[in-house]
Amino acid sequence: MRFLVDSFTAPYMQRALIQLMLLALLTGPISVFVLLRRRSFMADALTHTVFPGVAIAFFVDQSLIIGAAIAALLSVVLLSFGLRVRRVDGDAMLIVLIGGFFSVGVVIVSRGRSFASDLNALLFGKILAVDRADIVATVVIALIVLLAVSVLAKEFITVAFDENAATAWGLPVGRLDLALNLVIALVIVASLKAVGTVLVVALIIVPAAIARVCTERIGPMICISTLAAGIGGWVGLAASYEASIRYDVRLAPGATVVLILTVGFGAAAAISAAFRRRSRAASQRLANV
Amino acid sequence: MSPLSALRIDDLAVAFDDEIVLDGVTGTVAPGESLALIGPNGAGKSTLIRAILGLVEPVRGSLTVLGVAPAEARLDVAYVPQSDVLDSEFPISVAQVVLMGRYRRIGWLRRPQSSDRATAMAALEQVGLASRASDRFGVLSGGQRQRVLIARAIAQQAKLLLLDEPFNGVDSTTQELIVEVLAQLRADGVAIVMATHDLSVAHLACSDACLLNRHQIAFGPIVDALTAETLQVTYGGHAVELAGGSTIVLPHGH
Repeated sequence: MRFLVDSFTAPYMQRALIQLMLLALLTGPISVFVLLRRRSFMADALTHTVFPGVAIAFFVDQSLIIGAAIAALLSVVLLSFGLRVRRVDGDAMLIVLIGGFFSVGVVIVSRGRSFASDLNALLFGKILAVDRADIVATVVIALIVLLAVSVLAKEFITVAFDENAATAWGLPVGRLDLALNLVIALVIVASLKAVGTVLVVALIIVPAAIARVCTERIGPMICISTLAAGIGGWVGLAASYEASIRYDVRLAPGATVVLILTVGFGAAAAISAAFRRRSRAASQRLANV
Repeated sequence: MSPLSALRIDDLAVAFDDEIVLDGVTGTVAPGESLALIGPNGAGKSTLIRAILGLVEPVRGSLTVLGVAPAEARLDVAYVPQSDVLDSEFPISVAQVVLMGRYRRIGWLRRPQSSDRATAMAALEQVGLASRASDRFGVLSGGQRQRVLIARAIAQQAKLLLLDEPFNGVDSTTQELIVEVLAQLRADGVAIVMATHDLSVAHLACSDACLLNRHQIAFGPIVDALTAETLQVTYGGHAVELAGGSTIVLPHGH
């Protein structure tokens, strides 16, 4: 277990760890709201629609974060309009946007000389290349997002639980959903360099899914979700380092983090199912006495 | 100024996509009165409720809620959905659901205070479910969930309650409990409007009735409005009076 500490002597590993811990603070709470509002598919769509922004920024040598942010904002706005097309349902509209945006990204990347490696970095991230500027940007995004969510938490929960009553109370459901989408977009932007556009959705969904199978309360869910994201980031990063340095097995760090989270979900689901079986059996025994 | 009527509707017509879906509704509900909205599916009961909530604009006529335009009255109007439209897996406790009734009074950017929790707890007590406060909402029975949603409306301290089929899938004990709670609210001056297809419960729980089938067939004291003739017009079939005073309507051909 020493590798959990020993892996972090190099500065680039320390920066990667700091970045992943910041992302855990960010994705832990957000993922709970995404899950409650059933926005997983929306989050997945946004991870794809930021791609062309990132690709354009990459080729004109601008900040990837700014490129991603512009593309994310554009797609959130387009989607809000797209959902008003009555004859095409929301899921289909998302696919239209995903396909359109993603293909623009691929076309742009394919015009570059180092197509394969560039695409790889954009799709799967480069956590070990995280620099001070990335960390500062993540801190700023985290402050904005966490402030927004803590301020709107009770409204988000109301809309997620009972949209009809929320509408009846005069809550601006559409604008609250737009706010949540923007928050998701910002989280994607912050997570981009660490895990890339394809795996970022796992960071936004899996921690809350782990938390949900462990508890039936929103408050504890947020804590468990954040903790799970943090542990997944730490263990995943250390494991990929240990594997490549000591055993010469190259594991992509971003993907290893997501893999640890996914295994964590499987374990949590299995343990909670076993507990439920046991408590059911116990209550049946009590009933039989 | 306390309004004379909780709800005043005058020759109301509502349209969806340029098609009139409800038309010619006229009537009032005073504080402490309870109105049953009766009619077949698609008759416009939900549309009328949406209009009272200010979610659809009338194309003709007028509608005042607690003396003001519907959208301005929302703080004092509580909507109680059918409990089965809510996700039973949602990780929320009974107490949290009831506390939700306070959120609009608490307002943006602020957190519930202990007084809000006390109000929510008292409301839960009123529907007889205080002992279930910390249970997850979804583990309760359908009837208990319905009572929790009524407690949420009580916690809101609304002056007008809109209920959508509150007796659907509810056992007779719960039905009695709900009727009793609604009677207490009426005694406190709360007005109630409920969409229901259960005519016998409507007689028990309501002072007035509005019969609809895309237009108003009757509106007034329940004994006058809810008759075999108006039911027949509303449902387009034969109304049959059963022993015990309840009435059922058979479709044509039976």
